[in-house]
Parts: sequence; C-alpha cells; structure tokens
Amino acid sequence: MTYDTRLTELFRQILDEPTIELRDDTHFTDLPGWDSLAHVNTMFSLEEEFGVTFTGDEFGRLHTVGLLKETLQRKAALP
Amino acid sequence: MSDATSNASTSTSTRGSAAGEHPRDHAPAEEATLRRDLAQAMSDAASAGEQPGSELCLKVANAAAQVGETATALKWLRRLVDAPPSFRTWQAAVKVLDRLDRDEVSALTQRTSRAAVIGSYNTAQLVPMLRLAGVRAGVHLELFEGAYDQFQQDLLDPQSALYAFEPDYVILAVHEGALTFPTYAHDPDAAVAAELERWRGLWSLAGTRARARVVQHTFAVPPHDEFGHLGARLRGSRQSLIRSLNAQLFEAAGTSCLVVDCDRVAATVGKERWFDPRYWHLSKQAVALAALPVLAVQTAAVVAGDLGLGKKCVAVDLDNTLWGGVVGEDGVEGIRLGAGVEGEAFVAFQEALLALERRGILLAVCSKNNDSDAREVFERHPDMRLQLDRVAMFDASWTTKPESLRRIADSLNIGLDSIVFVDDNPAERELVRQLLPQVDVVALPADPALYVRALLSYPFFEATALGEEDARRTDLYRAREEAAALAETMSVDTFLRSLEMQAEIAPVDDLHLPRVVQLLGKTNQFNLTTRRHNEAAVRAFADDPGAVCLYLKLRDRLTDHGLVGVAAARKDASVLDIDTFLMSCRVIGRTLERTMLAALCGAAAALGCTTLRGTYVPTAKNTVVRTMYGDHGFVLLVDVSETTTWTYDIGQRGPIVNEVIEIVGLTQ
Repeated sequence: MTYDTRLTELFRQILDEPTIELRDDTHFTDLPGWDSLAHVNTMFSLEEEFGVTFTGDEFGRLHTVGLLKETLQRKAALP
Repeated sequence: MSDATSNASTSTSTRGSAAGEHPRDHAPAEEATLRRDLAQAMSDAASAGEQPGSELCLKVANAAAQVGETATALKWLRRLVDAPPSFRTWQAAVKVLDRLDRDEVSALTQRTSRAAVIGSYNTAQLVPMLRLAGVRAGVHLELFEGAYDQFQQDLLDPQSALYAFEPDYVILAVHEGALTFPTYAHDPDAAVAAELERWRGLWSLAGTRARARVVQHTFAVPPHDEFGHLGARLRGSRQSLIRSLNAQLFEAAGTSCLVVDCDRVAATVGKERWFDPRYWHLSKQAVALAALPVLAVQTAAVVAGDLGLGKKCVAVDLDNTLWGGVVGEDGVEGIRLGAGVEGEAFVAFQEALLALERRGILLAVCSKNNDSDAREVFERHPDMRLQLDRVAMFDASWTTKPESLRRIADSLNIGLDSIVFVDDNPAERELVRQLLPQVDVVALPADPALYVRALLSYPFFEATALGEEDARRTDLYRAREEAAALAETMSVDTFLRSLEMQAEIAPVDDLHLPRVVQLLGKTNQFNLTTRRHNEAAVRAFADDPGAVCLYLKLRDRLTDHGLVGVAAARKDASVLDIDTFLMSCRVIGRTLERTMLAALCGAAAALGCTTLRGTYVPTAKNTVVRTMYGDHGFVLLVDVSETTTWTYDIGQRGPIVNEVIEIVGLTQ
C-alpha cells in the first residue's frame, strides 16, 4: 500500500466514512464528522500507524493534510 | 464539544449504512460484490496463520457486517480482541459492532447487562471499547457514559441521568489524579482514611440508590517519584499513600464491590506507556489510548466473572504441553521434563496449572494417547508436579479433541463455554475453534518457556469470591446505613462547597484574548448561541463602553482549570443583552454558569441596566443548555422555532448569586 493510500485508509477508518478523499489542501475541519474527539483519535492512530511521535505543539498546528504529510515525511522519513 | 473532553451520551454512531442495516436491500450485483469481498477477506485471514492480526480480523468482520452476517461478524470481532491490540483497529471495530443489529448481538452473546461508566478522565474512547471487549467476554453491554469528571455529582444527585439509566454495574473509571493526596502527608493514616471514606461513600450510593454493583478501577502508582527509592519507605509519600489506599480499597470491597487492579494492569502495559502526558494535556486521557484495549478487556473480564461467565475448567493436552516429547514413542524415560531449559519450562507450566487448580479452576486432561501410557507418566515420572488426584477428568483416547471436550463437559457437568482448551498443536486448536466455538482456546507459543505467561495472561478466569449469603446480606445492611449517613452529611451542594472553588472574573484583555477566541471557536456543548466571534469581534466588544466581555477562570482544591468561561453582552437601553455565554465542558456540572450570570448582573448594574436578556440558539450539540436560562429564574419571552429568548428582571428578583463558588479578583 502506498503511503497516500495508508493515510486515506486511516482517515476513512477513524471517521467511519468510506468515501473520504484527501487532498493536500483538505482542512481537517472540512472532513465529515470531524470534531475534537476525531482529532485525538486520528493523531494517535497516525502515531501508531507511522511510528512517529507528535509534539504538543504539532497537535495544535497540523490542521491540513498537506501540513500533516510534510510532518510525517520529515518524522518517519517517508517518500 | 470543546477540549475533546466531554461526550455525555449513550449514543453510538448508527450511521445510515444501508449495508449494515438492510443487507437484503442490496442490488443483486452489489450483493455479489460484497459477498466476494467477504470470501476474499476470509481466505486472506485463513492464510494468515492461527491468529490473524487485528487488521485482518477487522476486514472479515466488516465484510460480514456488510452482508448482514451478524454471527460471522461477531466471531471475527471476538478474534480481533484476542489479537495484539491496535488502537486504530479497535476504533474501527467498535464502529462495525455498532452497526450490527443489537437484538442479534444480544441473542448471540451469553448475557446482556447495563453498565454506567463514570470517570475522572475523558472516557469517550474507553466506553465503546468496553462494548467490544464485553462481547468477547460474553456480555452484551448496554452502556451509559457520564460527563467528563462528574462521577461524584452523578452519584450524589439522586435525580442524575446515571440513576435514570438504571445500571446493573457502575464502573468507576478513575485515575490517581482524582485523589486529593499531597506529595507528602504528615498524617498518612488520616489522608488514606479520608480517601477511603470518600470512595466507600460513593460505593454505598451506587449500591443503594441504583442497586448496582460497583466496578472500581484502583489507582496506578506513577512510575517516578521525587523521593526516589526513599519514597517507598516514607509512609507519607504520595506513592505510599496510593499503595495503602489501593490495599484498603481491595479489603473494603469485600464481596459487594468489584475491583480492577489497575496498578497491575499498568505494569503489564509498562507504566511509562500507561500514561502519556501529551494526550493528558491534549484531551485529558489519563490512560494512554494504546492501553485502553487492555483496560477494556480486563474490566469486561471482571464484569463477566461477576455474571458467572468466568471459565471454570482448563482442558489440557499432554505431549509437548505438559512435557516435551511424545510418551507413546519416547517412553516415560524419554520425555523431557525436569532437567534442562525445556524440562524446567514444562515443570513451571505444571506448577502454574496447579496454582489455578488450587484457586478452584478444574483441571481436565484432553489427550490423544493410550490411556495407560498417559497415566504412567503421572504415576512414575519423578518430576511430574501435576498428580492424578488433581485432575478432575482424565480423557486420554484416540477420538477427536472436540469429542473429548464434550465428554469432559458432560462428566464435570459444566457447559462447553466454561472450558478453556490448552494445546501445543495449532491444528488441534483450529479444529476446536471450528467445531466447538463455545470453547475458548489459549494459543500456546512455540517456546514452552512462554507457556506460563500465555496461560496466566488469559483474562477470562475471573471470579468473584462469593462469600456466604449471610455475609453479603451484612454487607448490604452496612452499605445502606452508610448511604443514609452519607446522605445526611453529603449532598451535591456540600460536595461542591468541599471543592473550595474560586472563580476569577475580569474583562478580556490582550493576555487572555487568544484563549477566549479559542474557546469561542471550539466550544459546542455549553454554548448558548455558538457565535464564532474572531479576535477582532472580541476586541470590539472589549473596547465598546456600552458592552462587556468577561473571561472566567476557575480553580479548586485539586486543580487549576484555567480560563474556562466567556460571557459577552451589550447594553440595549435598560437591558443587558447576552450575546455569548459559553463554558468549557471540563467544568460542566459545577454551577459555574450561575457565577457567570452573577457577574453579568454586576456588569448590568455598572452599565445602568436593570434586566438581563439571554438567547438560546439550538445546535446539534448544545441541548445541555436548552433550559439554562429558565433554570436560573429567567422568564421565557419568545420561542421562534426553538430559538428561545429569556429575560431576568434584576430590579425585581435581585441579583443572581452563587454561594458555592468564591469570586476573587472581580474587576469591573
């Protein structure tokens, strides 16, 4: 599975919305069912899935898919 | 909901997924695709070895749910619980479970029970996980979740939603942060006694008012201590106080209250993994999300044990399970038992089985052997720890294991669902899983050195030590007396007073502006109008001499909650019109709104107004404040499609006051 697919799968699973498509400019709050609980669940699932650890600052700062991918690429050395 | 900390609801996401709910409504072509998906997922899982990973289990469960095969979906959700836990797959599994037909799930699960989870931390993730773990343990749980950190209010208020739910179990999901212990107590006995009394009081309330059994999560001792190793020796250190409280809670629990020994559970997870400070600061998770599946399983196991679903019998294979080698071929002299790395491991495993037997678990032998060969080892081998008189049923024969297990169940007069099958051979285990799904299977690892751990970490041997009926009755009477005494000395009001809450209320300044804007942006529940003012708009309020914009900070005996309330209002002739009134869900249930209204009464006077006017604009999430104005003496003025406007005549009714919260630093 490519990295983009893994990311999309993860968001679909956490938000329980099998049709979600992610674009770099997708703002998390635009995703269906997004709320603070979904935020927490997503952040931790990302940590679990990609073996990264976010800082408290990143929890607040990462709010678009583009920003998230940039951070994941840096932290998990993903392509 | 603000701060991700509150979610006081019993609702579970029942997404309108046609797939889950009306399997027969699929177009034939779609149905065929879904069935193919299921077949593919099952074949993937089958080729993934004995215990497919949780991701694969999820895939099969989901595919089965899509075509309405509830029993298959449930089976794979149960297998998912047995796989190494992953937070993400558990989250997704919980949603699959929610989509299954509740009546069918109930019918396919041994028992159904109602459990209310009230806690001191954000339990939004734990609660649905309990439902999943419950299904694995044999209990279909109907769940209620209390609001964030309101476990005491919920028990103290006889009118609370908790009591209305009529739970069979009240699960106190609490953590050590909820304890009032100092870092060092000069009178440790008094400190522990005070906490013990508090928890016992809460137990009594649950027992007498709800007639519910309490499941108390006891307290994990933090892994680090400012006193270092000295902390263990000082009776007044926080870690000693927590240990001592745990010990006294276990004792006080007697037979009337259940406990989950969280200190031990945390140790199995690893104490540094049990608590993740980042997620505590982010959303008040006092148990790390990664550890929640384990906590859910352990809690469900305790509840199942109380319902009599704890396993009663271990049916154990012989060759390569109790000793190394095959006695029929190697002879009694040739098997590996006693000496050497492997031999010692088998001895250790026998001792673990004996320990289970001593606590009341029946042992049965379930072996493909000549009966006489098998017995000879027990009779002649000097290193056999397990003796024949400890074996309740000895079944060595050449029939299949499922047949043998049926004979064992019949002869011991227990249900197949009370038996745990332990065998080193994966093929035998798979056969039992297929033919006798009621029997639980412990998958022994390849290395006998790890057998003991595999056996003892199996969670469903839980039993409530049932005392004499008379002893329980005595407990009940004692609990009733205690509750009566508590009701006299304790009420929600006295509880709130005991928190020694102090509110700081002041006009919003630059220093507090960012947090105020943040709260305006994300508070969903306790928000009367949900107007998402930006920074400029808040400034405009603050700078307008005919308006007021207040922030409110709260601290109490235990915690400094920080800035948790915002109120903005504008003068309209003699009326002070409340534009915005909101509060973080972290502090709902503490009457802080009354203090905010009191502050607005003060602001009204300063602006020459005699009346407060407030509006409630309904949203999907703010029903908690639908009647807030009415509850505080406001009179309903208009109701336009459920948007309601209320007034409060200060001149006539007097200013609103809140006696349980002290106001400090009120600058007007």
